Amino acid sequence: MMPARMLAALVAALCTALPASLTAQQFPSTPPAAAPLKPAHFPPFAETTLPNGMRLVLVESHAHPVVSLSLSLPAGNAYDPAGQEGLAAMEAGLLTKGTGTRSADQIAATIEGVGGSLAATTTDDFMTIRADVLSASAPLAFTLMADVVMHPTFPDQEIALLRKQTLSALQLELSQPASLASRFFAKTLYGQNPYGRNPLPASVRAITRTDLVAFQRARLRPTGALLVIAGDITLPAAKRLATRSFAGWTGAPAAAPPFPAPPTRAATQIVLVHRPGSVQSNIVVGNTTFRPTDPRWYAATVANRVLGGGFDNRLFRILREQKSWTYDAHSVLARPKGIGYFQAGTEVRTSATDSALTELMVQLRRMDSEPVSAAELKAAKSSLVGSFPLTIETAQQVAGAVAQAKLLGLPADYLQTYRTRLAAVTPAQLEQAADAIIRPNASLIVVVGDGAKLYDKLSKIAPVILVDAQGKPLTPADLVAKGGMLDLDLAAITAHRDSFAVMVQGRPLGYVLSSVAKTADGYTYTENTQIATALKQTTEVTLDDKMQPRHLKASGMVQGQATQTDVTVAAGHATGSVTAPTPQGMKTTTVDLQVPPGTLEDNSIQMVLPALHWTKGAHFSLSVLTANKNTVIPMTLQVTGQDSLTVPAGTFPVYQAELTGGPQPITFFVEAAPPHRVVKYAIVGTPIEVVLVK
Amino acid sequence: MRRLTTLLAALAAAVTLLSGRVQAQTPGHVALTQFSLPNGLHVILDEDHTAQVVAVDVWYHVGSRNERRGRSGFAHLFEHMMFEGSAHVKKDQYMKFIQSAGGRDNANTTEDHTGFYEVLPSNRLNLGLWLEADRMRSLAITDSTFHNQRETVKEERRLRVDNQPYAAALFVDDYALFDSATCFPYSHSVIGSMDDLNAATVEDVRAFHAQYYAPNNATLVLVGDFTPANAKRLVTQYFGDVPRASDPPPVVCHQAFDTGAMHRAVSDPKATLPATVHAFRIPAYDNRDTPALTLLATILGQGESSRLNRTLARQDKAAVAAQALTNPFGPRRGPGVFIILAIANQGVKVDSLDQLLTAQLASIATGGVTEAELTKAKNAHRAGAIFERQEALSMAEALQSAALFLGSPDAINTDLARYDAVTVADIKRVAATYLRPDNSLTLIITPEAGK
Repeated sequence: MMPARMLAALVAALCTALPASLTAQQFPSTPPAAAPLKPAHFPPFAETTLPNGMRLVLVESHAHPVVSLSLSLPAGNAYDPAGQEGLAAMEAGLLTKGTGTRSADQIAATIEGVGGSLAATTTDDFMTIRADVLSASAPLAFTLMADVVMHPTFPDQEIALLRKQTLSALQLELSQPASLASRFFAKTLYGQNPYGRNPLPASVRAITRTDLVAFQRARLRPTGALLVIAGDITLPAAKRLATRSFAGWTGAPAAAPPFPAPPTRAATQIVLVHRPGSVQSNIVVGNTTFRPTDPRWYAATVANRVLGGGFDNRLFRILREQKSWTYDAHSVLARPKGIGYFQAGTEVRTSATDSALTELMVQLRRMDSEPVSAAELKAAKSSLVGSFPLTIETAQQVAGAVAQAKLLGLPADYLQTYRTRLAAVTPAQLEQAADAIIRPNASLIVVVGDGAKLYDKLSKIAPVILVDAQGKPLTPADLVAKGGMLDLDLAAITAHRDSFAVMVQGRPLGYVLSSVAKTADGYTYTENTQIATALKQTTEVTLDDKMQPRHLKASGMVQGQATQTDVTVAAGHATGSVTAPTPQGMKTTTVDLQVPPGTLEDNSIQMVLPALHWTKGAHFSLSVLTANKNTVIPMTLQVTGQDSLTVPAGTFPVYQAELTGGPQPITFFVEAAPPHRVVKYAIVGTPIEVVLVK
Repeated sequence: MRRLTTLLAALAAAVTLLSGRVQAQTPGHVALTQFSLPNGLHVILDEDHTAQVVAVDVWYHVGSRNERRGRSGFAHLFEHMMFEGSAHVKKDQYMKFIQSAGGRDNANTTEDHTGFYEVLPSNRLNLGLWLEADRMRSLAITDSTFHNQRETVKEERRLRVDNQPYAAALFVDDYALFDSATCFPYSHSVIGSMDDLNAATVEDVRAFHAQYYAPNNATLVLVGDFTPANAKRLVTQYFGDVPRASDPPPVVCHQAFDTGAMHRAVSDPKATLPATVHAFRIPAYDNRDTPALTLLATILGQGESSRLNRTLARQDKAAVAAQALTNPFGPRRGPGVFIILAIANQGVKVDSLDQLLTAQLASIATGGVTEAELTKAKNAHRAGAIFERQEALSMAEALQSAALFLGSPDAINTDLARYDAVTVADIKRVAATYLRPDNSLTLIITPEAGK
């Protein structure tokens, strides 16, 4: 009998030899092989320079009756004056909000009237103004673009509106751990280099109209500006329209000192950003790389693809699929005009943080110490080469690719040869590039998470710098709830009842009724809360005569689901459970932890406030048992101001005090005079306010 | 002379700016190749060599409208099942095959269809077709993949609907406009009921696949850099022997309009500001009033210079933003919905915003819109239709949509004319006919505390 191997070969040969009509119905059991790659094809483009120094590039294509304009200027975020971070981005937002001859409404109505779009955005290096229109409206697109870049007026009411929107977006950003991680990474990695800076509420508030006008005069100038035009237009027409529209615009951007070099890093270091009670950790690891023109770019791109680019890569396979630590793990190579960076990152639950970071570092080292397999190299290259045509499908995408190559100063044939160069990367080049871009022994690691649970474990991986979310240095001692008895004026705690209204956006949506009663050996604090149909809860806390919690009991309904808390504190130890809603659904937390002496309880903080020694500028350090997170959190209550406040219960002189450190900052307004009742409190970042009714 | 030229150019520009003419610009005529395989698979080819890209787009003509009582959410669950592996492709391997080729893929479910697509470099057309054919002919349906995807769908609901402000109003609450007793197909959401999903069995899933995921219930569209001859050869080889199924049962919906005003108060834990939503019943997509209703939505609430954004947001400062749209998931063969959402500004009572919005709608039904507003909306529609032809995928979706909802993919060449023919009188008439209180559902959304 014929050996099986030969039989198979014979069958295969026969199949190949059979006419197409006979094989047509056979469904292959493996994916078909790629058809041959067509020769790399990149649309040709023409270049010219206008008399005012503007560079003009045209990618002519008449496939569709559309025209895309993109004007880039060296006026990105890196040029924000110190202390006014956020200025370039605000400037971009305001360019289309009024010119000498058109109001914001007119600009919007004009561009939307022809079904087009006009908008300006910034990156670290550049401001880009982009317009997309049908080609019949190309003259209008040139006219509007020139008007907004040459004659913006920055009306005060538009500044106020955009500032408000920027501040609220910023508030959201600063509350998200992933944004905190990338901010701390940039700041620490780049140091004095402006790539490390980010807007803060104070810097956004510091921006004035005068600054915006000055920035426009200094930086939005034609010399060196790049106008890329793509689509259904000819070079003479494009040149004529550009010359006419931008007539009278002259000059070069003010000379800016070269950016300082980012700090050099000799050893790996961890910045641990403490987010008390965080159930997960955001990890980013990386280092600076090289300039965008570095010839190692192609091999570095392939190396990054093998490690953590796309969907099927080492980090994803190991951290997600093998270890189930995370949904996503990936790495990126950033390519700004100056020195770029490599960054790998993931998000994991707190208990897996050190294991995940250790594995991440193992994978970074492996890239440097072990050759990449031929199969991995082939897959990475075919994916990168294959995806290139998808990135230049439309006229706008072609224009974007050309603009990026020009702005970064890449060689003239960069786009034409990109695919071929990627495909030609050798294993030796890849190894050399990996060494250059991935430096696990001189990396910056940023972890945003619960410092109390992470500090010791991370210290075994690399030296740790501990900071709070605002960047203020902390010591490990700050992570531990200090305990120690607060200096309380217990005589101020009297039996009383308070009635509060819960206001959302100025609309009463519910109430909080609280009462304090004295018992034989301490106090009872009860609270009944109802907010619309969403929440109904009764809480009862019994405390000893030093305001130490003994028992916490709560029950109610949140969004139709029952919540239940039952926690007992005895001999410095809290035990029990909390069932409460989380973004992932209802969750039961087992409470089992040491409670140092002097610890207050989260639900009953309000009843303790009258016993504090209130003065202007007073600062109180509190340790707070937060049962639903099974932890004791150090919090700070800082008196930040004095005011007179009117609530339904009357008008009161009050101290304003900010409670921070907990999951959500709270602003309290407490009567300035005894009995120091709480008159109002507001949950920062939400529209919720609770005001005293009687 | 030179001075005169400049003057003329300036004049021309001013005319464009001021008079707001309808743009004469037309997209090129699209020449299609169409054929059907003996098993009923309909195939539409649009050859376009502008970029070295190809889009493979399969629409199964099944959506939430085909679900039966007690099994809502099934069509969407099925979209997920299609990524769980088939005879020659292991679980989770679809995306890996596509990504290693440099492509991208995804899927979506609406009331009327379930679509799957791949965008690939053109030398990998064969890979996209092979993957689609494999899962059409041999989907692996097991207890474990079924349970796994049921959980994923619940997670998707949490992410997409429960975790996004105002999403529930657009994607769940507005179905209350339709009567479950007489029009079950359109009276329940695409995302479906979690209880129904929990009650589903793996047998239900197999029956659903056998009935609806068959070549005679699907259309395959290819757009991009290929030759029709080669595409036809590959399609025939991969799909030719997939068996046909019996015709799907008819979808029955009897929905009365103008049944009386409905008001609901809903709470939205993710919203930070209160909002008002007005939803109105509109007819099926092939109705002659669709172009006027679509343009009316643009006039009212698409873009910064739309009527509601000019009045409620910028002039009265009562709203942060307002938006109007028809059918959030896309066209329907049954009754649809016209939705207006306005989000209250800080410190503005939602009731007063609602009154302002109601007054704006009434003013259109009585006073109509201006020629300039209509022209602007037509231009926006035309530009949108032309912009979407630049990408193979959006072109493929447009062809699928024309084929399913207008009866032929060739309608893509004539549909713009229907929009150009709309007059201000038509706009006033459709506003008075459909945007009336007794044909409406009002949702007052309040942010919830205590989350």
